[in-house]
Formats: sequence, structure tokens, C-alpha cells
Amino acid sequence: MSLQVKIEEREPGVYVVAPAGEVNTDTYLELENKVNGILPTAKAVIFELKDMTYISSMGLSVLFRVKQKLAGQEAKFLWVHPQPQVQKVFDVMKVLSDAMVASLEEADEYLDSFLDGVQKGKIEPRTPHDEGA
Amino acid sequence: MLLERRLPNRLEHVNAFIKEALGQFGTLSLPQSDIFHLKLALEEALTNAMRHGNRLDPDLFVDVCVELEGKKLVMKVKDEGGGFDFSKIPDPTHQDNKEKPNGRGVFLIKQLMNDVEFFDGGSGIKMIKFLDRTPD
Repeated sequence: MSLQVKIEEREPGVYVVAPAGEVNTDTYLELENKVNGILPTAKAVIFELKDMTYISSMGLSVLFRVKQKLAGQEAKFLWVHPQPQVQKVFDVMKVLSDAMVASLEEADEYLDSFLDGVQKGKIEPRTPHDEGA
Repeated sequence: MLLERRLPNRLEHVNAFIKEALGQFGTLSLPQSDIFHLKLALEEALTNAMRHGNRLDPDLFVDVCVELEGKKLVMKVKDEGGGFDFSKIPDPTHQDNKEKPNGRGVFLIKQLMNDVEFFDGGSGIKMIKFLDRTPD
């Protein structure tokens, strides 16, 4: 029931956070503490969830807090590749669906557009799920 | 009775108990999805009991039991707190509550179990899962 958290900075300020294992009552603080370390400089955080096998409400709360902090600094929160049982938890709770992208490539494309917009002074671009709406 | 324990009110005991429960669930030939749901419901109930029921008081205890009743798995969790008004649990999926960081545990339990009842004024919760003993 352990958790490893790998964090990669793909480009300045754009981080991929990859938790591997379970985010539960025992481990949620480990995830939160590690992610909090990158938030001050983050323009975007992408959670790569392919190796996250379990999440409880404590873990969901971490994702919420991260999302809220990022929103407060006009940075982006995205997640990709949830395992089916984790996806079900998100679906049941009807949460974070606006932040899901299909792949890291889609995240890159979206973030390129977002970061271009920020540089040009357009602070609030559309979310990926607004496309075509 | 598959398991019956009196847990000290410390969060580090939650997953130790869950590990023990998983050992029992593993003997029941359940689909992995059922095991995931049972595990998650148990963690949510135990965590709620310790944090909200017993208010993290390390001198208190949480009683938990897991029973097999025919084709039903019944899990009961009881804290030593004063209970709560379970008729007023906010819906965390409601637009007004979606961005709130807490309040999802009981909702998750209700979604994952087939039946949920509170007893002793809300200081106890009984969770029932109808078993499909076909491993996936």
C-alpha cells in the first residue's frame, strides 16, 4: 500500500506528477507535500495517473486543494490516464472531469495554447472540454 | 463473523485493518471491482469514524466488524462520538458543493455499497454489499 511520487519538469513551470501506488489515508500527505513543493513556480501541473491504483476521499481532497491553489495563481491543473477503478471514483463524485485530457500529447497542445495566451495577456483560455462547445 | 476488531483511534490503524480485511475478501472469490469498492467504503467509514466521530481523540476506539450473511457482505463501523444528523449530509456533487475540499466520504460509501444504514444516532454505519462471486 505504498506510494511513490515522481515529479518531472517538462518545461519551465510545467510539471508532470506521477503517483505510483495508492493514495489513501496513510499516503495522501506524502503526495500533497511533494506537490506543494512545486506549486509556487508552477504554470501547469499534469497528473499522470496510469500507475495510481487507488484513491480515497483523502486523495481526492489533495487533488482539489492543488486545483484550487493552481487556479488562484492562474495556473492549470490537468490529469491523464486514470485506471478504470480510479476513473469510476472520479465519475461517481462528478469531479475534476473538466481537467481530464486523453494523453500527455493533448496536454502539451493545450498547455502550449494556454501558455501562449498567458504570454499575450489572455489569462483565461477555454478548458479542453470547452472545445467545440 | 469474518472479522471483529476494536481499533485504537489513530489513523495509522486504518490501513492495517484494511490489509487484514483484504485477506478475508480474497478468500471469497470476488470480482476485483467489488474488492476495490469494499476497501474504499471501509477506509472512508473508518476514517470518518476516527476523524469526525471520535475527533482524532487517541483515547477513544472504533469498533469494526465484517460479516458474511448469505450473499451479502455486511460491514459495521461504530465510533464513540455523539453521532450526527445523517439526514443533512450535503450532496458533494451539487454545484454549490463541488469545489469544497471535504465531505465526500459518506457519499462515496453510498454510491459503492448496495445499502447503507446509520445507527446509534449516526455514530455507527452499516454497509451492505450484495456479492457476485465471479472473479473478473
